[in-house]
Amino acid sequence: MVGYNLYRLLKEELKNGSNDLVTRQTGQIIRDRIERDIAKESDRMVIAIDFSEIGVIDYSCSDEIIAKLMSRLLSGEYGDKYIVLTALNENQKENIEVALERKDLAVIAEMRENGKILVGRLNNYLVETLDLIFQKGSITASELSDALKLPANTSGTRLLNLHKKRLAKRVSERRSDGTVWVYSSLTDMFVSEDSELGVMSSG
Amino acid sequence: MIHEDYYNGLNRLLEGIFILICKFDFCSRNAYNVTYMLQLTEDSFEQSLQYFRNSSAMNLTDVTFIDPYGMVGLLEIELLRKDGIQKTLNLPASDEVLKYLERMDFFEFTDKYFKLEPSRPLLSEKYLRSCYSDVLLEITAIEKSDDIHFIVGRVKERAYSILAKNLHYDETTIDGFIVALSELCQNIVEHSDNRGFVGIQKYYFNNLSKNVVKIAVMDLGIGFRKSLSERFPLRGDLDAIEMALFYGASRYSDEGRGHGLPAVKRFVHQWDGKLSIRSGAARLSIIPGWARGKEKETNLFPFPGAQINIMLPEM
Repeated sequence: MVGYNLYRLLKEELKNGSNDLVTRQTGQIIRDRIERDIAKESDRMVIAIDFSEIGVIDYSCSDEIIAKLMSRLLSGEYGDKYIVLTALNENQKENIEVALERKDLAVIAEMRENGKILVGRLNNYLVETLDLIFQKGSITASELSDALKLPANTSGTRLLNLHKKRLAKRVSERRSDGTVWVYSSLTDMFVSEDSELGVMSSG
Repeated sequence: MIHEDYYNGLNRLLEGIFILICKFDFCSRNAYNVTYMLQLTEDSFEQSLQYFRNSSAMNLTDVTFIDPYGMVGLLEIELLRKDGIQKTLNLPASDEVLKYLERMDFFEFTDKYFKLEPSRPLLSEKYLRSCYSDVLLEITAIEKSDDIHFIVGRVKERAYSILAKNLHYDETTIDGFIVALSELCQNIVEHSDNRGFVGIQKYYFNNLSKNVVKIAVMDLGIGFRKSLSERFPLRGDLDAIEMALFYGASRYSDEGRGHGLPAVKRFVHQWDGKLSIRSGAARLSIIPGWARGKEKETNLFPFPGAQINIMLPEM
């Protein structure tokens, strides 16, 4: 996992001393910078966008930075990488959520308080699956089927969909019974043993 | 202090209508109308517009109350003129109003547009700043993205002393206020070829026994109707404002566009505020129980761009 400190990027790119992410133009400048940096990261890297020193983020900036980054991440523009948000406050979360919901997107975020949550829109059955991944750290389709009493193909589809939405990592693993896809949490670094995903979603 | 409560009785008496007395200056070759106004606010904007737009002078001699909407309105009316001729602005006789205009940095913009009569008053900066601590944001021009960073920074500096102390907003609500302000100001940068203005002031309303913050934002851009007409069939200015405010309609097809105004509406509604948007020849207002006014107005005097007024009461 690599951290991108938004305040540092803002300071370097805007040079006006502001710690607020306001205006669409500011959002474009910061997204351009993040995209340039993401291009240098290796595949399967989880990029943690750090809001700890940021004041407010408005709707326009939320759309221009977070919603567009997630949209392009899902379309494969950045390769096999992942994005999470860290140190969000409640107001930042709300504004980002509006921007993501409009585009039917979701991102995993760690709040400054109250742990990690899903921000944006995700079907309830995918939220249920993601929650299980967070509890276990990683899971296979077979393990998901056992845990939720699902047919094997349903489990596989759910996990694949989460991976396509860049909400779960996928790696192949050789086991005694053959090679299987293992789906794991993006946020191991801030996942506690017994934590569950505080779900903010709509079906 | 130029407090709203001082004028409440007067306002009720006038019911938002200014007094117009026509005089004729017989010393001049061409007689001209001189308007006598007592207040310059959103309520008197229609009259200001009609009488000031094409007149050679703006007579504010008798003005005893002016709010941010009145100030930015005057600047916008004058900014609209393209003849390059400086209009005479007869300053208010009231020292209190003059001090308030100075405190709001109104005179920072007048030299370019007006010939002041009498000339700009000389007032002590120190006196002014200490006297009017209820100013959340002086009249500020908006032309580019950096201006909005400045506005947000300035409001944050004063948020505790005004929004927290007087409106009892917590940190989250203050952030919401700042985001709403940012979105309002961005409309100017995105839709106006000209500069816009914003000003914010806290008042005490005697009839409500509450503090109220007034925000005025104006521009001379293309307005809602022209902005949306390429993408949506519209019946008029009111329809265009409704589409943007209630349905998040945007001139851009990108789904990420159009969040701003509906979010502003949600914020204002959540905190029981009043919101009015005037564009073209229409005004749409969201009016809480404590306020008065018409929700929908059409056939107003046409004026380009958008004129937005927000009033937020203390909780």
